[in-house]
Amino acid sequence: MGAYELTLVAVVSINVMLALGLNLITGFCGQVSLGHAAFFGTGAYAAALMAAAGWPLPVVLVAGGVTAAVLGLLVGFTSLRVREDFLAITTMGVGFVFVGFVRKQGWLGAEMGLTNIPDHGLGDIGFILMCLGLVAAMAAISAHIKRSWLGFGFAAVADDEATARTLGINVPLYKLAAFVIGTFLAGVAGAVYVYFTRFIIPGAFGFTVSISILSMVIVGGVGSLWGVIVAAVLLTLLPEFSRVINDYKLLLYGALIVLTMRFAPDGLAGIVTSLSRRLRRSET
Amino acid sequence: MTTPLLQVDAVTVHFGGITALERVGFSLVAGELLGLIGPNGAGKTTLLRAIIGVVAPDEGRVHLAGRDITTLSTDARARLGLALTHQIVRPFRSMSVIDNVVLAAGHAKTGSLLKAVAAVGRVAEERRAGELLALVGIADFAQANPAALPLGALKRLEVARALAIDPKVLLLDEPLAGLNSVEAERLAETLVRLNAGGITMILIEHNLAKVAEVCARLVVLDNGRKIADGATRETLADPAVVAAYIGKEAADART
Amino acid sequence: MLHVELVLQGLVNGSMYAVVAIGLTLIYGLLRILHVAHAGLYTLGAYITVLTTNATGSLALGILAAMLVVGLCGMLVYRLLYEPMLERPPYVALIASIGLFICMEESYRIVFGPYGSSFDMPRLGERIALGPISIAAADAAMLVGAIVLLTGLAMLMRRTRFGVAWRATVTDPAMARSFGIDTIKVRYVNFFIASVFAAAAGSLVAVLNNLVEPTMGSVPSYKSLAIIVLGGLGQVGGTLAAALLLGVIEAYGTIYAGAYLDRDAIAFIFLIVVLMIRPQGLFARGS
Repeated sequence: MGAYELTLVAVVSINVMLALGLNLITGFCGQVSLGHAAFFGTGAYAAALMAAAGWPLPVVLVAGGVTAAVLGLLVGFTSLRVREDFLAITTMGVGFVFVGFVRKQGWLGAEMGLTNIPDHGLGDIGFILMCLGLVAAMAAISAHIKRSWLGFGFAAVADDEATARTLGINVPLYKLAAFVIGTFLAGVAGAVYVYFTRFIIPGAFGFTVSISILSMVIVGGVGSLWGVIVAAVLLTLLPEFSRVINDYKLLLYGALIVLTMRFAPDGLAGIVTSLSRRLRRSET
Repeated sequence: MTTPLLQVDAVTVHFGGITALERVGFSLVAGELLGLIGPNGAGKTTLLRAIIGVVAPDEGRVHLAGRDITTLSTDARARLGLALTHQIVRPFRSMSVIDNVVLAAGHAKTGSLLKAVAAVGRVAEERRAGELLALVGIADFAQANPAALPLGALKRLEVARALAIDPKVLLLDEPLAGLNSVEAERLAETLVRLNAGGITMILIEHNLAKVAEVCARLVVLDNGRKIADGATRETLADPAVVAAYIGKEAADART
Repeated sequence: MLHVELVLQGLVNGSMYAVVAIGLTLIYGLLRILHVAHAGLYTLGAYITVLTTNATGSLALGILAAMLVVGLCGMLVYRLLYEPMLERPPYVALIASIGLFICMEESYRIVFGPYGSSFDMPRLGERIALGPISIAAADAAMLVGAIVLLTGLAMLMRRTRFGVAWRATVTDPAMARSFGIDTIKVRYVNFFIASVFAAAAGSLVAVLNNLVEPTMGSVPSYKSLAIIVLGGLGQVGGTLAAALLLGVIEAYGTIYAGAYLDRDAIAFIFLIVVLMIRPQGLFARGS
C-alpha cells in the first residue's frame, strides 16, 4: 500500500466510525441529530489538547470519546424536551453554536486551529491497523447493541415512545444512553482524526460534515448496520476515485439524500431486502 | 379489611377549560374484576390514563399496594405492575406481532439499562409470547406485521402485550370492542379465567349485558364524576345510573 | 448614537430575516414542513434579479421576473418533493429539504460560478439624513421594501379570499373542505406566495449588497428555522417579532459578545435556550 491508499483507509475508517455513532442515535433509537459533527469536533479538540500536553495515545482516544459523550449527554437532555423535527433543529443549532464558539476561542486556536499535535508513534501501518481495529470494535459494539435487549428497547422508543413507557421502558434513560454511546464513538473518531491530520480547524466540523454523516446513515438505511457501513465506505471513496465526482461531492450527497428520502426511505438496506424478497418469491 | 391494591383518591383532570374528571375516587381489592362504565365522554379512558400516568392529574392521589405512585412516570408504574391496553390500538408497527409481545415479556431485562445491554437471549420471552398469543387466539399471526392484521386481532394483541409484563393490575380500555361476538365471548372468558388466576382488572366495556356477566362490581362515571359504585346488579338498577344512560340516549335520539 | 445605529442595523438585518422567515412560517403553519430549501429559492431570486436587470436595464423587470419564476419553482418543489411525503414523519421532509438546498447551492456554484455576480449599475451608495441620524440608501431600501412586502402580506391574509381560505385550512382542513375550500389549491398558492417572498427578499439583499453569491442562502436558511421556532411556528406576528428582535440582538451581540461567539451562533443559542424553556416557541399561544 502506498501513502495515498493508507490515507484513504484512515479517512474511510473515520467516516465509518462517525456513521456508526450517528446510526446508534438516529437509526437504532430514532432521535434525529443534525449536529453530529459537533461531537466529532469536541472529541478532536479535547484529543488535540491532551496529545499536545503529552498524554499517551490510548488515554487521548478515551478522553476524546468521554469529552464528546459529556456534550452528548447534555444534548441528550434536550431530546427529552423536544422531538422529531424540533430535535433535528435543536441538534443543528448545537452544531452551529459549537463552530461559532470554537472560532472565537484563543485557547483553541480560533480560526487558525491547533497545529502542535505530536506524532502517534505507531508508524503508518500501525496507525492503519489501529483505525481498522477501532472500526471493528465499534461495529461489534453496534452489532451487540442491536441484538441485545437494549437495542430492542431502542427500537420500541424509535417506534412509539408513549407505548414503550407503558411496557416499563424508561424512555428518557434509553435516549440518553443512545446519545452517550453514539457521541462517545464520534469523540473517538475525532481523536483519530487529530492524529491523522495533526492539524484541526473549526471549519472541519461544520454543518456540511454533519449532513455528510447523516447522508451515509440515510443512504445506507437508517438502523441497518451493514447498510450504513457500506454507504459510509462508498460515499467516502466515490469522490476520491473521480476528480469530477470530487468537484460535485456535495451535489452528490444532497441528491442522494433527496432521492433516498423520496423514493427509498429504507436506503440500501431496504432496497436489498425488498430485492431479495422478490427473488425468493420468484424462485418458489 | 385488607389494604386495597389500587386506591384512587379525588383525582381531577382538566384539559384546557374542560374538566374531564372531577374528584373521582375508588379502591380496588386484589383479585377484583371491576367494570368501569358510563356514557360516551364520561371520562373512563381518562381515568385509566391517569392511573397509569399517561395523563397527569391536576389533583388527587393514586396508590398501588399502599405506595403513592402519583408522581411516578408511566414506565415506573408499569414496572410496579400496572398495565394498560389502548382503546385505539397502538402496536409497534416496525416489529412483528410476536416481537411486540416478546419485548413486553422481557420487561425484567428492559427495565434496567445494565441488564438490557448485557442480555441477548430471547428464548424464554419468545416462548412466553407464543403462549400469550395462543391464549388470546392470534397465534396464527405471530410472524405477521401488525399493519396486515384486522382490528379484532390488534385488539387482542393489545391484551397479550399488556399481560406479558405480568401486571398486578390490568387496565383494559374496551378490549372487546371491534371483535366479533365469538371472539369477544372467547376473550371475555379468557379474561375471567386470568382474573381467577390472580390478576386484578379494571374493564371498560360498552355492552352492559357483557359487563353484568363478567364483573361483580361496577364504578359508573358520568360527565367526569363518579355517580355510582357497588355490586353490579344493584348499581345497574340505581336510578342515577339509569338516568345517566337513558338521558344520554334520549339526547342522542333527538339529534 | 451607537445605540441608534446598532438598532437601525439590527432592524435592517431583521427585516431581511423577516421576509425570508415569513414564507417559511406560512409553509410550516399549513403543512408542518420545515422548508430549508426556501433559502435556495431566495438565492435563485437574487440571481434572476441581477441577471435580468443587467440584461434589460430595468430593476423593476428583474424583480418581477424573479418573483414569478421563483414562485413557480416553489410550487414545483411542493409538487415533486413534499406532496408525496406528507404522510411520513415530519423529519423526513426536513432532511429531504436540506438535501435539496445543498443541491441548489451547488448547482448555483456550477452554473453561475463561485465568485458571485453584481449589478452593472452603481451601488446605492449615498446616505440619507433624517435629522441627526443618517442611513445608507441601500439600508433604507431594504427597510422600506420589507415594510411594503409585509404590509402587502397582511392585507392579503386579512382582506382576500385566499387569506380566509388559508386561515380556515390551517385551523381545520376537514372543516375548510366542507365549506367548499379547495385545500389542495390553498397549498399550491401558499407555496407560490411564500416563494414570491423568498424571491423578493433575494432581490432586496442583492440591491443591499450589490452582490449575489451561491452560498448567500446558507445563513438565512438555518437561521430562519430558528426564527420561526422562536416566533411560535406558524404565527405570522410572532415570526415578525422574532426576526426583528434577532436582528437587533445580533447587532448588539457582535459588539458585546463578538470576542466569545460568532455572530451567526447567537440565533441558535437563543433557539436552544427557548426550546428548553418553552418547547412550543417564544411567541406561541398557550396550548
